[in-house]
Amino acid sequence: MNTKKSRPMVAGALAGAVNGLFGAGGGMVLVPLLISYVGLEDKLAFSTAISIILPLSIVSIVVYWLNGTFPLSQAWPYLIGGLAGGLLGGICFRKVSANFLHKALGLFILWGGIKLLI
Amino acid sequence: MNTIYTCILVGLVCGIISAFGIGGGSLLMIWLTAILSMEQRTAQGINLLYFLPTAVAALLVHNKNHMVKWKVALPAIACGCITAALFSWVGNHLELNLLRKLFGGFLVVVGFCEIRKKPKKQSDSSPSMER
Repeated sequence: MNTKKSRPMVAGALAGAVNGLFGAGGGMVLVPLLISYVGLEDKLAFSTAISIILPLSIVSIVVYWLNGTFPLSQAWPYLIGGLAGGLLGGICFRKVSANFLHKALGLFILWGGIKLLI
Repeated sequence: MNTIYTCILVGLVCGIISAFGIGGGSLLMIWLTAILSMEQRTAQGINLLYFLPTAVAALLVHNKNHMVKWKVALPAIACGCITAALFSWVGNHLELNLLRKLFGGFLVVVGFCEIRKKPKKQSDSSPSMER
């Protein structure tokens, strides 16, 4: 098979595995892969990653639900906030310096990871 | 710490950060697991559900702006659905503490990469929506 054509498949498979196992992190794996491995531009990679992770998450939700993990009653307040936040973030998308946020987010993620490990 | 208002507020903050494209989903997971000490699997279920409405809204906008490369997305979805089903099953059968540690390890790697990422040019590199 043509390697160029198989690259999106490999990227998608990896994202599906991480996203399914952890219920998170598919985008963190997929966006860098789409840029450096598949060769998409940065801004296309982000939006294309959402179009890929969405159906993968639906598959995962169904499997989680079949296994008795379906915490909708605990999830709905976060969903409401998330929807409002997404709209708000979309409006001021161009006005924020992302570099600072990347560093801050990285530190926070690192802290969370260490906390879970110890 | 776990009232409905706090949940909505945390959802809001993570939603804003997700919209910037820098992994708000992992933030919610850290909140649920490392701060609230929620059971790992329940947190994962919440995070998956959390992603849905935001992603649908974002996708509608991006697709309208022709920002989705479907030629890349479709084969990725085809393969990803298989591994997603498989590893979701694994995630539901792993021992909870092991799952938590694995996720912790994943976060350490992701956090480290995020900090080391080279700064991008800013100014005129803001995403242009005009076609």
